[in-house]
Amino acid sequence: MKKVSTILLMALLLSSMVFAAGTKEAASTGPQVLKVMLSEEPSSEDALLNTMKQWAAETGNTLDVMVIPYEDQLTKFPLMARNNDLPDLLTTTRLSRLYPDEFLDMAEYFDMSIFEPMAVEIIVQDYKSSKKSILPQQFTITNVYYNKDAFARAGITAPTIEKPWTLDELEKNAILLKEKGGVKYGMAMDASRARYDNLMYANGGSMVEKDGAGFDVAINSPQNIATLQKFIDWNNKFMPKAIWAGGTTDNPADYFKNGDVGIYFSGSWNYNSFYNQIKNFKWGVMPSPVGKSASAILGGSGLGVPAKAKNKDLAISFLKWFYTKENFQQYLNRDKGLSSLVGVTYSPSDAQVAEDYKVLQSEVGKVTYAFSVDESSMWRNFYDNEYRDALKQAVNGDLTAAKALNDFAALLSKKSGWDLKY
Amino acid sequence: MKTRYVKRHVRAFWLFVAPCLLLFSTFFLIPLGLSVGFSFTNYDGWKVMNFIGLANYKELFADTKFYQSLGRTFTYTLFSLPFKVIIPLLIASLVTSKRVAIKGLARTLTYIPSLLSALVVGITINWMFSAEYGLVNFIIQSLGGTPLQWALNPKLATFVISFASNWASTGFYMVIFIGGLNNIPQEIYEAASIDGSTTRQTFLRITVPMLAPTTFLATLLSTVNLLKEYALVQGITQGGPGLNTTFIIQFIFDKGFNQMQYGYASAISLVVMVIFAFIAYVQFKFSNGGDR
Repeated sequence: MKKVSTILLMALLLSSMVFAAGTKEAASTGPQVLKVMLSEEPSSEDALLNTMKQWAAETGNTLDVMVIPYEDQLTKFPLMARNNDLPDLLTTTRLSRLYPDEFLDMAEYFDMSIFEPMAVEIIVQDYKSSKKSILPQQFTITNVYYNKDAFARAGITAPTIEKPWTLDELEKNAILLKEKGGVKYGMAMDASRARYDNLMYANGGSMVEKDGAGFDVAINSPQNIATLQKFIDWNNKFMPKAIWAGGTTDNPADYFKNGDVGIYFSGSWNYNSFYNQIKNFKWGVMPSPVGKSASAILGGSGLGVPAKAKNKDLAISFLKWFYTKENFQQYLNRDKGLSSLVGVTYSPSDAQVAEDYKVLQSEVGKVTYAFSVDESSMWRNFYDNEYRDALKQAVNGDLTAAKALNDFAALLSKKSGWDLKY
Repeated sequence: MKTRYVKRHVRAFWLFVAPCLLLFSTFFLIPLGLSVGFSFTNYDGWKVMNFIGLANYKELFADTKFYQSLGRTFTYTLFSLPFKVIIPLLIASLVTSKRVAIKGLARTLTYIPSLLSALVVGITINWMFSAEYGLVNFIIQSLGGTPLQWALNPKLATFVISFASNWASTGFYMVIFIGGLNNIPQEIYEAASIDGSTTRQTFLRITVPMLAPTTFLATLLSTVNLLKEYALVQGITQGGPGLNTTFIIQFIFDKGFNQMQYGYASAISLVVMVIFAFIAYVQFKFSNGGDR
């Protein structure tokens, strides 16, 4: 009996060793599943997803894609981290800044000099440490689209890189477009704080001002109140007011795509979808208008690997593949956007796309110092929605421009501990 | 000394109660206890949790946005409540009447919206009332009228949410009223008929009083649901224009999940729970619990 037990025990040990070795082998070389979290529902032309699919086809691995919008990521990510149910790879704009400890330091895996320094500064920079929690993926810039057919009907000549419009010219032409351009709205703007902030920076304003090593709250400065008042007037005159008053879930990009808008303030991330979807009128990209200075806001999303991801090695191997010049070039050709990799540029074959791309590139030089200071303060970590609520209430006429910005400045000052400048 | 019978009886009692107690504890008592605990902290939903005493409550009682959103919630509830109760009652009366045809189909069609999720209702209502490309404005314009600014006028925006809420819940309350109507003894109606009562008199003097317990139930459930309205608002107006349709649950959600102030949101939730419980208590007292 003892002999039989010993034989059985030996057999059990041997079989477990064989199975264990087999499992390890399968885990290291066999097809694996890369769990990816995207921030918006990808279209059939989505550049990143199609590039990922190419990687999956080449390597035999498979993708498990989940979509969690940016605003929901902030609440879902901590829950996923607590439950050890994190994706292997994710695209994000803010998670890495809010929760840097939860991400691998990419500088340990990549030579950061292969990336455009500006892209690293804007997308990757933590401001509190030198850790590189994500790698720049989509490098975007705010820009202005226009309806060429509407411009022609209204007899308007589009501005050029050399001679951009002033804000007064923008206002005059938006009114003209509404009157004679055959569009319902002369101008529309994404309901995004960053799009509005371009007007603030162009008028010489900012959210905060540097005060030694710290900051002062400057959002209620006289020039900012004047900017908001002008924006309220524009909404009442020639913009779809419901978008900025916050009473609708409509996307102004749809208004532009339907030909109902003459001038549309958005960003380079929309270029690819407009290129594929707008077929019934001609459109283009124009340089953004200039106030006291020009302003554009760079941004974008990065790819990060959570430190506790189950398949982080696979995620790193994908990133190594993705950031080779050949593969990133293919991604960029699909994205038609700005490049975040040194030595890789998008060279459009379509003459119109090439012309638009030139305007987009020219916007990069308009990023203001005030924007960089605001970003480095990380004020959004204190309040973000409250600022949008203040703008919404002002546009809707519930608060005056001064009251909206003074109240928000007081809130931000109290929460951040920064002094009020005005 | 307990007899064997009593012991078995007690054991059976706990066996019957246990499943409900387990669910009630897991989904109500434990979260309530946690919420009470969080309300005395600056919990950010993940890593920061320091005891701050009554600071959240002090901030709450000085927060004008809290009072404004609570006021809006009460206004919306008072505006919507009569429709929540009266419309299902009238429809239930119609679909139980002997004089009405195709009652089965009418009941089914009225009940279908109750099966839809709030999100689907929101999308459907958006499609109908969108200021830009909505069906209702299209019809108004086709008839030569001026399109209505559903998304800019606070009263119209509140009306749209109320309309959606009523549309989605009428079927549910109709079923409750049908049950109540079927429980009224037919002999009473026959006696009233013999005495020469008109249809209107019968409805107001017999049906409505006899339905008091059902009406109380429908009123109580409607009140609580209206006070807690959330998903529809998110789907239709997202609290706008401005903050004019930001009700108390949106306010709590925004503080807790968007601004990561779980401690503060817990404090608001507890205060709101007490207010809502008080409203339900007053309703109970006022209507004597629906007793005739």
